[in-house]
Amino acid sequence: MFQTRSEYDRGVNTFSPEGRLFQVEYAIEAIKLGSTAIAIKTREGVVLAVEKRATSPLMDASSLEKIAEIDAHVGCAVSGLTADAWTMVEHGRAECQNHYFTYNEPMPVLSCTTSLCELAMSFAGEGEKRMSRPFGVALLVAGKDEDGYHLVHTDPSGTAVQYKAKAIGSGSEGAQTALQEEYRDDLTLKEAETLALKTLKAVMEEKVNTTNVDMARVAPAYVKYSDAAIQEIIDRL
Amino acid sequence: MAPEGARQHANWSPYDNNGGTVLAVAGENYVICASDTRMSTGYSILTRNYEKVDQMSPKTLMASAGFMADAQTLKKTLKARCKQYEFQNKKPIGCVSFAQMLSNTLYYRRFFPYYAFNIVAGLDAEGKGAVFTYDAVGSYERTNYSCQGSGQALIMPVLDNQLKTVSPLVLPAVSSATPLSEAAAIELIKDCFATAAERDIYTGDRVELWIMNADGVRKEEMPLRLD
Repeated sequence: MFQTRSEYDRGVNTFSPEGRLFQVEYAIEAIKLGSTAIAIKTREGVVLAVEKRATSPLMDASSLEKIAEIDAHVGCAVSGLTADAWTMVEHGRAECQNHYFTYNEPMPVLSCTTSLCELAMSFAGEGEKRMSRPFGVALLVAGKDEDGYHLVHTDPSGTAVQYKAKAIGSGSEGAQTALQEEYRDDLTLKEAETLALKTLKAVMEEKVNTTNVDMARVAPAYVKYSDAAIQEIIDRL
Repeated sequence: MAPEGARQHANWSPYDNNGGTVLAVAGENYVICASDTRMSTGYSILTRNYEKVDQMSPKTLMASAGFMADAQTLKKTLKARCKQYEFQNKKPIGCVSFAQMLSNTLYYRRFFPYYAFNIVAGLDAEGKGAVFTYDAVGSYERTNYSCQGSGQALIMPVLDNQLKTVSPLVLPAVSSATPLSEAAAIELIKDCFATAAERDIYTGDRVELWIMNADGVRKEEMPLRLD
């Protein structure tokens, strides 16, 4: 397999003769090594849930941040290389503030994800801000604007797709199947919280507790769940 | 001896004032933006048919007085930015966003300003009339009515007298839109321009009114003094 690729899998700006960009494909692979993140959209809001994998019992799990606020009305869950995620989140934050500064209104969620995808594609561009490789991270961006709730998945290729429910990371295959079976259009926010955590629990090796999962919602403002709130959902499972 | 720079730029004068009056009145469910169509320089009339009101987006009108070359460039820039906004955000720009963008655009030129005195009129997200009034460097305020340009000193006191509304500090809050009906506001604006044209040599020829409400935008006009 690698023999056939060796000529073309180095350059990020070089297509292989079959029309593939291997570095981008590898970056997408990197996400499958990341911890699982799940997002579910309902009419009442969007729920984000992530697994936090502490690789050592001596590690402080609270320092693993995989959910971030981009603006008061936009939040995101990440999987893959988290350091890359912060670069993207910072960019999203700056874009949202810039939009508010210029237009005196919150940035539309799809405009925000578009600008994140532009950054994801910046490895192909030129100039000082050019990234040397694709970002090894996928985002689940949840937000609310005048068109209602949005849940958008972005990957290293700079593609943004809207979802009703989406899972990314190492457990994404199983989780996505579970979501597909259990999702309904009339889910309440509370039911979505339960479904998100239930699905996460099913794909996690460890037992779910307040230290190894993180949750947030955008309904209509971004709020991160406290340990007590997460415990309450765990008790509902 | 004067420094070299001072002599070189002694008669550098990049600005002119082309006169003209612009005015806007916001109602509960309509907004009217009006201007005369005279453009002058000194004692000369350059044209009797220069339209100072432009539609910038489906819900936004803009009128400018002052130096028309600057006003025109400003509007050209803003129209381009409105189009970019529409492509980026997949919706036309609203008047509140446009108002902020104009302010930023003006302040960006804080030390070589556009010599333009602007009014933005439009319908906000609730369909309520909105008027935004500016100075040349981007300080702005949302009001119910405003007048700018050469006839400002003649017209503004009349609008204050006819349209003043309850203070926003009074509780319970009272709508700040003018209580006038659309038809009454149109008559008031026509009277204002006819009055200003009597004394202000830079206001005259014709007044055009752009009336925006839920049905869309329509135009009315009335001749003014030609002298």
